[in-house]
Amino acid sequence: MTGPPLASPAFLATLAAIMPKPHLLLSATLLLVSAAFAALPKPDADNGGLILPIGFHALVVADHLKPLRNLAVADNGDLYIKTRQDGIYALRDADGDGRAEVVKEFGSGGGTGIALHNGWLYESTNDAVYRYKLTPGELVPTGEPERIVRDLPDEKQHNAKAFAFGADGQLYVEVGSPSNAFGGKRDRALGAKGEDPTEFLQTHGGYWRFDPDKPDQTQATGFHVSTGHRHSTSIALNPTNGRLFICIHGRDQLNTVAPQFYTALDNSQNPAEVMHLLRDGANFGWPYTYVDAQTKERKLNPEFGGDGKKVDDSGKFDAPLVVFPAHYSPMQLAFYTGTQFPEKFRGGAFLAFQGSWNRAPLPQAGYQVVYIPFDEKGMPKGSFETFADNFAGYTDLASPGDALHRPNGVAVGPDGSLYITDSSRGRVWRIIYTGEK
Amino acid sequence: MLLLAACSKSEPPPVVAVAAAPTPPAKSGAAVAAAPGTERPAAPAAAPVQTPAPAPAPRLPEAAPAKTAASDAPKVDLAALLKQGEKIYADTCATCHMADGNGVPFMQPGIDKSAWISNPDPQYLLSLILRGAEVVGAAADAYDNKMAPQDALSDEQVAAVATYVRHRFAAEPIAKPVTPAEVAIARARPGLPK
Repeated sequence: MTGPPLASPAFLATLAAIMPKPHLLLSATLLLVSAAFAALPKPDADNGGLILPIGFHALVVADHLKPLRNLAVADNGDLYIKTRQDGIYALRDADGDGRAEVVKEFGSGGGTGIALHNGWLYESTNDAVYRYKLTPGELVPTGEPERIVRDLPDEKQHNAKAFAFGADGQLYVEVGSPSNAFGGKRDRALGAKGEDPTEFLQTHGGYWRFDPDKPDQTQATGFHVSTGHRHSTSIALNPTNGRLFICIHGRDQLNTVAPQFYTALDNSQNPAEVMHLLRDGANFGWPYTYVDAQTKERKLNPEFGGDGKKVDDSGKFDAPLVVFPAHYSPMQLAFYTGTQFPEKFRGGAFLAFQGSWNRAPLPQAGYQVVYIPFDEKGMPKGSFETFADNFAGYTDLASPGDALHRPNGVAVGPDGSLYITDSSRGRVWRIIYTGEK
Repeated sequence: MLLLAACSKSEPPPVVAVAAAPTPPAKSGAAVAAAPGTERPAAPAAAPVQTPAPAPAPRLPEAAPAKTAASDAPKVDLAALLKQGEKIYADTCATCHMADGNGVPFMQPGIDKSAWISNPDPQYLLSLILRGAEVVGAAADAYDNKMAPQDALSDEQVAAVATYVRHRFAAEPIAKPVTPAEVAIARARPGLPK
């Protein structure tokens, strides 16, 4: 870099020379900054029940809606939220107080995925992807939905269809595996024995790529991007490097299936939930393997000859980029594209964990939203930290049914606020940064 | 813990499915289906069930069995059996149905006061344990996860855990032990009792 460093006295002197009235510029900047902060709504005194880092506050945008899944935020701040069991919510804060005065419902079918793309609202049910044409300024689309992808496998277990748009403008859709570890008839039970998943994986446990403008595509006409995952409900494009990142739900019940190798305590801490780069031809190792949350090694599943120690040495499977605690259940993933939050949060991603059900005898855990730092090349640094916590309302949680809330959707608003949805009692939070304690 | 317990009672997501068990639900079994405060309609009430409801067998007096039956029936150490069943429940069942029997919303049903467990005839419960969700029919569709057959457990283990859940989770505790012989009958039968 040539020239004086930006903060040096020489540079400031130059600035003073070329700017005749620097104090005016400074006041104008301050005015802009305070205007931006003045536009933030007043947070709730209790932060909507959440525990946040110092300087962050929250308010409840809407409450007592149906169980919510993913959300998308439009450029004008309108929220679109997919419901778990039926249709879509459209929320609008008409008077700028941060609360949604307008709550509309439209569409039908339960599901998970939702995203805005080129003036369309895309959403997924458990077996298809649809889109609605949005009219600028209109909250609710008026026309009928157009079906973009149809006939995706829907066999109840792991049937959520998360999706995202790549840097190539293509639509990437997940199809889960209705299975724990492909353990045959006794999958999830004592004595589960792995079966050959080759044929099954032709249509399950992967991501598929589709043309976002072409109606009625099927898996057969789409491109099979990746294989070998159990279920993934987290996929997002990192604008820094134009790559898609996904998170995967690890298997359950190691100790139920193979008590000779795993104690209940072992199972409460294994296997890891993981983050991967999504790339053409990737294989993420399911159902043969899992990732040990402590050693980060890829180990053989007990259904496929594992004993808690045997490490996979096939070299066929991608290594995880971030390893998360067992059973936390990663849901929506969102890169932070705003500037409202402090420098440290820019360029990284927020991930909502729905929280565990399979950690007994330890308390259930992971009902939180975490922040995952990424480097300047757009790759995760490998760590994460809790960002928003106390969704469950209790720390000593025996069962998910006792949790007050379960975070599911997370998305960034046009002003850099972070929105979070609740899959349990239908609450929507908005997180803002004021810097005040 | 009191708070937790109180809270779980008002949990909105589906607590149901038991509504379609093949017997007239025990008194409080129906109450489970209609959790207060839920906006959702209860699961389709009693989906068509192939098996006719068996005539409810007269319930044994709760307090009596241990002493009165002592003369003829082989002696069963109920306390030891319950202890064994508790261990099997914790190792095999609680992972999905939770230690408190309340299940996981959307994923696995609660079993507390379930009609399957509350039925005086243990054969329905035994079929469910040994064959899994396939004997439940359409009601199982309310949940993401399908119960696998737990037929890798021995007759003795199934008898112990069945005795335990009937004692702990039936609408009214059933003290009468389930015997390995009864488990063997259920194991030999392809589906639910005729």
